[in-house]
Amino acid sequence: MNYKFQWSVLWSGDSGSWLLQGVLMTLEISALAWVLAVALGILSGALRTVPFRPLRAIATFYVEFFRNVPLLVWMFFWYFGVPPLLPVGVQDWLFSHGAEFWAGMFALGVYHGARFSEVIRSGIQSIPRTQFEAAHAMGFTTWQVYRLVILPVALRLIVPPATNESLNLLKNSSVALTISVAELTFQTRQIETYTAKAIEALTAGTLIYLGLCLSIATIMARVERRFAIPGLIVRVGG
Amino acid sequence: MARLVALLLTVALGFGVAAPALAQSPTLDKINQSGTLVIGTRTGSPPFGFVNKDNQWVGFSIDLVEQAILPALSKKLGKEIKLEKKESTPPTRIPLLTSNAVDLIAETMTDTRARRDSVDFSLTFFVTGAQFLVRKGSPVKGIQNISGRRIAAQQGSTNARIIRERVPSAQLREFPDQPAAFQALVQRQVDAYTNDGIQLAGLKAKAPKPDEWMIVGDFFSYEPYGMAMRKNDSDFRAVVNNALMEAIESGKYFELYDKWFGPKGDVPYPLTAENKRFLQMQVVPK
Repeated sequence: MNYKFQWSVLWSGDSGSWLLQGVLMTLEISALAWVLAVALGILSGALRTVPFRPLRAIATFYVEFFRNVPLLVWMFFWYFGVPPLLPVGVQDWLFSHGAEFWAGMFALGVYHGARFSEVIRSGIQSIPRTQFEAAHAMGFTTWQVYRLVILPVALRLIVPPATNESLNLLKNSSVALTISVAELTFQTRQIETYTAKAIEALTAGTLIYLGLCLSIATIMARVERRFAIPGLIVRVGG
Repeated sequence: MARLVALLLTVALGFGVAAPALAQSPTLDKINQSGTLVIGTRTGSPPFGFVNKDNQWVGFSIDLVEQAILPALSKKLGKEIKLEKKESTPPTRIPLLTSNAVDLIAETMTDTRARRDSVDFSLTFFVTGAQFLVRKGSPVKGIQNISGRRIAAQQGSTNARIIRERVPSAQLREFPDQPAAFQALVQRQVDAYTNDGIQLAGLKAKAPKPDEWMIVGDFFSYEPYGMAMRKNDSDFRAVVNNALMEAIESGKYFELYDKWFGPKGDVPYPLTAENKRFLQMQVVPK
């Protein structure tokens, strides 16, 4: 390949601080979106299994609507579609105070919430029916059954697919650059603009994403081991 | 072996004999083998490269390639060369070139010294500078009063960089492409959109209501557009440059300019006497 590599562009000039800002922004938007996604996921995942049809219908609508439209479209929706619905004064304030960030956060959180929901539903549905019945027989209300018996077990079961979703969320945060959120991928492009060294900048971005994802996967593996219920879940090499 | 023989023959026969002209240029070799010149160009930058109402991919930069460079290549290689277009954007164009996916970038790429470390440029085929597109009646009049305001720019462009350096107090919003940046302006997410003046003119001309928009401010940057090629392929570059010079000299360039930027063109943008002179002075004698 007819290309002169020049890795020094990654630590000369402002590149280092840009990458750092990018990592922080990626972590910030992903963390907030993750909290939103998990909350929405648990709520709608649980609602999809309750014995009350209207609640199930609402949750099903949420999941099918939000997971079946591309994330990029949701980014544009929250950034271009939602603000015009607000009063002009609020709009103007929002545009000067990080509308991009919040739009991106909502897009990511609501989209991944729909996907988390399915993960959680599969966890709940893997629990034997007898557990629901036993809990009911002991006098628990449906709310108590979910809060005290079903969800604590289901959340332990779904750690591996939830890790998967969390990693996807982190990587998908890069789509927010389309609405001007200066996250990691945005910053690697910035370096390219200043230095015309695209391959070096992309390589740096790739390695940082890889590092972030591996760290999260390691943490989640620890969480999985720490919270496993002895005797309930078959473990191999744990 | 064949190459060595060819080289020895050339030396033996002296300079009067035409040497195998292609041996030195990997790009010309590639074009010769495939019979195709692959260019990277834009889809949303009227009138340089865009998809028109009839869903055709056209533009001034594309015309220059089709009507000036392609014939010169066909003549040089002694066979009909076809044109293939791929989309390129500011962040992808240099990787597209270095990975051999395209042979020539013909769009709206500003020739800069930093970029010359990675690619080679043809002579300058268009000169413009950065300005602002604003809603009619906007208080933004130029780079002097954008402090504190929300300004959209295209990611990876030279304009964004200049604003960040010269007016750090402006709130810069960078979008990957022109349509998204313009949408942000339409919805008042930003107060102004900065890009090269000619691109703003193109955007304004294609807007649903062109009269609603104004292009304001003096050029706050110098943006000479060039076509980019892989580095160190001077034989290919000579073909491209000679073709452009030929087009300027024969008047073909000005014919195409008139087609796109003339009074009846897509984006009326008269050629100043100064710019015309500059183009003509780049043409070296035969």
